[in-house]
Amino acid sequence: MVLEQLTGNLVQGLVLGAIYGMATMGLSLIFGVLRVVNVGHGAFIMVGAFVTLWVFSSLGMNPVVAAPLAFMVGMALGFIFYYSTIRRLVKAPELASLLATFAMGVLLEEIVKLIFGSEFRGYNWVTGRIDLGVTILPVSKIYASVGSLSIAVLLYLWFKKTRSGTAMRCVVEDSEGARVCGVNVDGVYALSFALGIGLTVLSGVLLTMFIPVGINPYMGGAYTLKAFVIAVLGGLASPYGAFFGGLVFGLIENGSYTLFALLPGVEPFALTRFLSFLVLLLILLLKPTGLLGKK
Amino acid sequence: MKQCAARYYPLLPVLAGYLTMFLMGRSLSGMWQLMAMLAFYCALGQAFNIFLGMTGYVDFGYVAFLGVGTYGMALAITRLASFEGLGLGIIAIGLLLALVMATLLSLAVGAVALRLRGAYFAIATIGVNEGFRYLIEGAKIWNGSEGIIFNAEMNRIFGRGLASALSTFWADVMVFIIAAVAAWVTLYYMRSKIGYALTALREDEDAAKVMGINVTRYKIIAFTTSASFAGLIGATSWALKTPYVFPPEVFEIHYTVEAIIIVLLGGAGTLLGPVVGGLIYGLSKYWLSVIMPGFQLLIFAPVIILIILAFPDGVVGILRKTLKNTQLEKFIE
Repeated sequence: MVLEQLTGNLVQGLVLGAIYGMATMGLSLIFGVLRVVNVGHGAFIMVGAFVTLWVFSSLGMNPVVAAPLAFMVGMALGFIFYYSTIRRLVKAPELASLLATFAMGVLLEEIVKLIFGSEFRGYNWVTGRIDLGVTILPVSKIYASVGSLSIAVLLYLWFKKTRSGTAMRCVVEDSEGARVCGVNVDGVYALSFALGIGLTVLSGVLLTMFIPVGINPYMGGAYTLKAFVIAVLGGLASPYGAFFGGLVFGLIENGSYTLFALLPGVEPFALTRFLSFLVLLLILLLKPTGLLGKK
Repeated sequence: MKQCAARYYPLLPVLAGYLTMFLMGRSLSGMWQLMAMLAFYCALGQAFNIFLGMTGYVDFGYVAFLGVGTYGMALAITRLASFEGLGLGIIAIGLLLALVMATLLSLAVGAVALRLRGAYFAIATIGVNEGFRYLIEGAKIWNGSEGIIFNAEMNRIFGRGLASALSTFWADVMVFIIAAVAAWVTLYYMRSKIGYALTALREDEDAAKVMGINVTRYKIIAFTTSASFAGLIGATSWALKTPYVFPPEVFEIHYTVEAIIIVLLGGAGTLLGPVVGGLIYGLSKYWLSVIMPGFQLLIFAPVIILIILAFPDGVVGILRKTLKNTQLEKFIE
């Protein structure tokens, strides 16, 4: 019985993990290229959720339509924040960029609160369900995780095959060397930041396709910590690592929830979050380059 | 003797600031609560500055130490309420328990997290804060997510009059004292071997290590000192003032960020900075909450970004530059 439940939950975990991975790729991309930790990460996910909500509730359109829209909103936000702030902080002490990205997150939360109010919202997108034997999956969840996977593959191809992707990898390896070779480093920084934010906002759309409730301006906080754990799991600077980190994290989260629920007298949901913190600390201590990272 | 006194000149403007706040709060009617809030922000900045300002490390989980301190006082009051005759001794035990618990947690966290640097340290400390909160909620330690409410115990031990005096007056007086002591400790550290070691570490950790400075030891000293003051602030300004404690409230990351803003605003690593930062932050927050309630953060967020971009040295940093080579120079540190 427990084993069956566990298998079912692990399947759910894998599907959710794809979305977690997607939601973390932007964070890793920005850290990898600019060495800036986006502490306001969760707020950008929240913006994606509100774009979906707006597209679905006000325009009455399919949440899939929200994806490209959210990506463009994210790119725009990324460019605005890069050229107004981050550009001057790339070489500054960490304190400055950490606080600046945190402030960006707070700013977004407050603007969204001003427009949409602070109550919890949700939407209901009926797509039917598929019975997998061990567990039942709504089709919208499958859309979301297949979407995540295809975006991850697209990003991989873009990195490997395009000129700007190659330039980005050069800057990661050696920014001075890239500059000498004629790469517009500032442009690469701007593009990476915007792309990272774009992916993050887009992931907010996929996340709400998976969990279409609990949308409110402050929903991002929980995802910031999760994204940190996942990013560290996959090696903080690697977007693909982040994707696999997401899969692993989805499995840990759903699997441990099933097991904690068996213990009497505890709150399994909170303990799952405590476990994610333990995982974070252990990895930081034992292998800060990430489970899948290079030595 | 004169030399010895001169060492403490920079402490004078800090203490004068606290004395002015205290006297204004006492003599002008209706001002006490505002002054108490300002004192809380100054104390928070003063305590946090010992770590953030001196080492340059960003601890995003700082509020966990205030939270643990709050629990220390709450536990002392609820568990010892049945013992007759302890009276005000319970407050002393509570303060001691808060101090010990915050120190122990900081030693545990420091031993693990202080091996990491920069972004990794910041991420680990956010994890500590959230992780500790969810451990309390999940494993139902200290009443779990229900928190501890100890209004009734306060009234029973001290009587209604004294309990209310404790929460409306004496708790704030203790915060003033803690802030002043933290300022003194900051200056003491600055003028001792610890301060020089930490300055070397802040500028270039690897170079400091090569020079034979035991960087880990000094980092832990600063971290633990800073955390124990936080524990005391939690015990007084949170537990005694509002007799309840809930995990989501005492581990709220926004307090940490407020502390960082205060330190940066005033000038990280300066003695006077936290007082100036605390006053500017507290007053503008109060004022904004009066003229546009609920949207203080909307104003603050861009202001933070502006400060980081335009005044990375904070107000005291600028002040020090303007007062260089004047008589006042020796009072600004």
